[in-house]
This record gives sequence, structure tokens and C-alpha cells, in this order.
Amino acid sequence: MTTVDVLAEGRGEYLKVDPDGFRDWVRENKSRALVPKLMSEKEAVEKLVSDGDYIWYECNYLQRGPASLIREVIRQKKKDLWVGAKFTWVTAALLVGGGCVSKLDVGFFLFGPTVEQAIREGRVTAYEYSNVVMTNRIMAGAMGLPFMPVRSFGGTDGFTHSGAKLINDPYTGEPITIVPALNPDVALIHVHQADVFGNARIFGTGISHQEAAMASKKVIISAEEIIDTEEIRRDPGRTTIPYYVVDAVVHAPFGAYPGEMQGHYTSDVPHVIEVVASTLRGLIPQYLDKYVYGVSSQAEMLDKLVGASRLKDIQGRATIKEGYTA
Amino acid sequence: MSEKAAYFNEREHQICTVARMIEDARTYWVAGGGSPMASILLAKMLYAPNAIYVTEDGVVAPEPSLPLDPLMTMVTSRSSYRALQWGTMNTIGFHAQIGLMDYGILNTLQVDPYGNINSTALGDYAGEHRRFGGPGGADSIAALCWHTILMTDQQARKFVPRVDFISSPGFLDGSEGARERVGLPRGTGPWRVVTPWAVFDYEDRHLRLTGVAPFVTVDQVLAEMSFKPKMAKEIEALETPTEDELALLRTELDQRGQITDVGKPVVRQDDGTYAFVEEQKEKGDLPSSW
Repeated sequence: MTTVDVLAEGRGEYLKVDPDGFRDWVRENKSRALVPKLMSEKEAVEKLVSDGDYIWYECNYLQRGPASLIREVIRQKKKDLWVGAKFTWVTAALLVGGGCVSKLDVGFFLFGPTVEQAIREGRVTAYEYSNVVMTNRIMAGAMGLPFMPVRSFGGTDGFTHSGAKLINDPYTGEPITIVPALNPDVALIHVHQADVFGNARIFGTGISHQEAAMASKKVIISAEEIIDTEEIRRDPGRTTIPYYVVDAVVHAPFGAYPGEMQGHYTSDVPHVIEVVASTLRGLIPQYLDKYVYGVSSQAEMLDKLVGASRLKDIQGRATIKEGYTA
Repeated sequence: MSEKAAYFNEREHQICTVARMIEDARTYWVAGGGSPMASILLAKMLYAPNAIYVTEDGVVAPEPSLPLDPLMTMVTSRSSYRALQWGTMNTIGFHAQIGLMDYGILNTLQVDPYGNINSTALGDYAGEHRRFGGPGGADSIAALCWHTILMTDQQARKFVPRVDFISSPGFLDGSEGARERVGLPRGTGPWRVVTPWAVFDYEDRHLRLTGVAPFVTVDQVLAEMSFKPKMAKEIEALETPTEDELALLRTELDQRGQITDVGKPVVRQDDGTYAFVEEQKEKGDLPSSW
């Protein structure tokens, strides 16, 4: 009989792998019925993001990410979150700056004094992966599997500080790295269009939105536009996420602001520079005071701090429409 | 090739050097933004129109609408314009994993004699260190593309005998088969390192100096390394940027100077040699055309 030897293994803590437990969760909690799930950002985050959750966001605060939901998580002062910090720019730093985070699985984030200090003082622990290894992990979670073999990551120091293992592949006899599947507690995904049941359309390129939607116990969709289910049925090939993995739908015009939403609006360049500079200079508390704690909602932020003329300007700058209309 | 420029900076020189390495009709997985992306775009405009590039946000073979807004090099309508496919990070990762990516182009904080790359932490990871952002897509690029081109600065603190943290793999300990023993695909690995001053390749998995820019000496390059590289039998004098290359770089690729404004300016002197502007100013020895 072939035995599979573990040749090396990382020492990093990883979210417990439990594919049958995840199946049980899905059986009990994912509604098969077409029930409306439309709710406010406040209600969605109150109901579906809990202290201690493993949280995953698709894209990031600057690029078609769920920026309005991220702000709401910080506004509600969620605690002790474990963050899937891949392809992340400022998002992880904002969550750390809001005191929401205890653990980071790192693919990439924009470093700065806030995260550095939190790690140095032991308030936040970082585990090391890469962007693609993180999306490979979420793919394993989406497939209902316990782990994923990968041809990258072996030999790195990240491996040592992760949940990866090096084994002898029983099929080829060659060494292969395996990484633990990831089934986050909650995923935040911003989309172009969704119906009230959660059938969602993303136009354009992305990171791992389909995998994240399938792999996560609770899924909050924020959508630029709420569309009729008849429209979904007219062109089902454009449905990127099906309703039965979705738990909440939030209507969030400019939900990716200050980031770009392809086809709808560009990034707001001065705001992007402001939030990046805040991250690099340790001024995240001031940024959060202004844009998160200083307002009660996305609508109030847009109204009071951004204003109609800037929104019109970023819409006007989004001149490329090919591929982003149904 | 058009006329050699009389005035440029060392960063522009680095980007032009990489641009001239790009092979037509080959695939490149390019780190999102900065010098790597400027290099492939410049190559496509001048030398290798059918070179294909992909980025980790799933974009295959875009014809981007330039210029891009700050940081908006991925998941945006301009950066992904007229692509052949909009996929995801997993699809691009798998394209590389099955062997479709001929080259990767990366930049980094630190590199060692075996081409290992650090973008995670400077100092002692377990103790005092300065934290950086992690490998991002670079680990997959360095592991899965057939050849890796690394762009970094010519500084002693960047060329170190052993990187503080291997974020992305080079030849690891430099022994034969080291990558394969940890499950990386066979036949892959570091290929070139290009700095604003020099070009390196690898001999027996060990960094080797092959070319030096005409505005510095071999000794100046070696003084900005914390280890001694292998030396090619003949050290090539690198070509400096042409007027055409600079015109595209400055008017289309880097209008705002975000990428190139960090390099030291270089000037061609009356005798045809090149020198750093600042040093010539100090000597009171700038060319008559200045």
C-alpha cells in the first residue's frame, strides 16, 4: 500500500478545515426557495457579520470591491475578525485601523504604520500566503474539498508561516504542496446587477467572486443596480452568482466608491490618494473619523462628503462601456 | 532604432532595457503596475507588437486605454480594455500552472545570489523587522512562469547574500533540483535581473553580471551589492534609451511621472560618454548643450 508522507509542514494556524461541517451548514442555512433578500447595508452587516468571523472580500477598497460594506463593518465596530487579505490594497489596513481584526491571512496588502504596529504589538497575527494561493484555497472550499494541491508556494518562507504541507503525491511519487481549503464565515461581494433573490451579474474581470460565493457560509451581495428576475431569465449566461448561495442583497449605488466600478464610474483620484496616503502615514484614524464614523450610512457619505458633482464627474470619466452592459 | 537620447534617467534606462528583452509572440505574466507593466507596454509599441501579457486579475492580452489612473492597473475598464478574455485570478494562476506563461516580470525589495525574492519583511521576521505587503502575485509568477525577469534597484541593501524572507522562490539554496524537491514545476526559475545600472543572468543557478550601463563602472555596480556575483567573460556595455523610447514612455506610459521620476538623471557629454547630472554639476562639467 502506498503511504503518503508529510515531508514538511507550515506552523501557521489555519481556519479549521471541515467539508462535512460546511455541507451541514449549507443544508441547514442556505435557502433553496426564491425568497427576497433585499435589506439595508446596516441590517445585512448586523445580521450576517459576527465578531470572530473569518471575513473575505472580493477585489478591494479601490477596485470594484464592497467598499460601502467594508465601511459598515468598521462603523459597527466588529471585533476579532480573521481577514483573507489577498489583492487587498488599503482594505486590510482600514479594518485593522478600525480595531476589527485579530488575524490576517496575507496575500498582499498595502503596508503602513497601522498594520505594522498592530503586528508588532501582537494585536494582530499575520499568516503568510500569496494572492493566488489564497484564491486556490477558496476554490477548494467552493468545491467542497479539504485541500488543494498547488505547484507554487513550495520552498518559500511563507510556507513555514502558513497552513501548507509538502507531501509525496501518491500518483506521481513527486513532492507536491497542498494548502488547506478555505470556507470563510462571511463573504462581501460587490456586483454590477442583482435581483432581490441574489442572482448576480459581474461584468468584467475579477478575482474569485464565484468561488467566494460558493465557499462562504454567509454571503452579502451589494449591487449597483437591482434588476428584475425576468431580466436574469432572459440571459442566464450572464448570471455569475446564483441566488441559492446568497444570504443578503444590498442596493448600493457607488458601492465601490472611492474605487472604480467598471463601466459605471472610475475611481475618485483625490480620494484614492487620500486613503493611500492615510495608510502609508498612519492617518487611518483620521480617515475613518471622516468617512466612516462621521456619517451613518453610504447614502449620507455620498451626500455630505462626496457630493453630486463629483459623482457625476466619475461617471462621466467612465467612457469605456464595451462589455459592461447587458 | 532612433537616435540615442542625450538626457534620460536611470529608471527610464532600466525600463527600456527590459522592453528590448521582450520576445514577440510570447506570453508574459506581468506584475500589476509600475516598471514591469511600463516595460511590456513599451515593448509592444516598438519591438514586439504580438507579445501577449496577462495580469493577476484574470485579464488576457489587453490593449489598455492609457493613461491609467493612480493604482488603477487592475480590475478597471482602462487596464482591461480590448482584452481577449476577462477571467479571474484562479484562471490566470491555472494558465501559468499548466505551462502557458513563457516569462514573468516582477519587481522586489530584495534579491539574493540564487534569485530568491523578498517582499514580506526586512529584518528578523520572528523579531525586529519592517513589514511589507507580501508576495501578492509574485510568488505564483516566480514559481510557475518558465522564466522570470526581476526588476530592482542597484543598492547594496537590495542585493544581499540571503534574503530576509523568501516571499517568492528563486533557485532556493542554489542546489540542482532544489525547486523540484519542494514541488515547483521543473524547468522554471529566475532568468534575468535588470537594475537601472546593470543586467544579470544566471550561471549554474547563481547570479552573474553580464552588462553595465555606460554611465557607471563595473566597480560602481559591485559596490552596490552585498555579495560578489559571478562575472561574465565580457561585460557588455548596455544600450541607453532612444528618443523614440523616451517619447512614448513620457507621453503615453508615464505621463504623470509616477514610475520614472524616481531615477537619477543622466546626460551625454560632449565626448559621447554618459554621466550623472548631479555629479557633473558638482564638477562644473555639464555639456555645452545643457
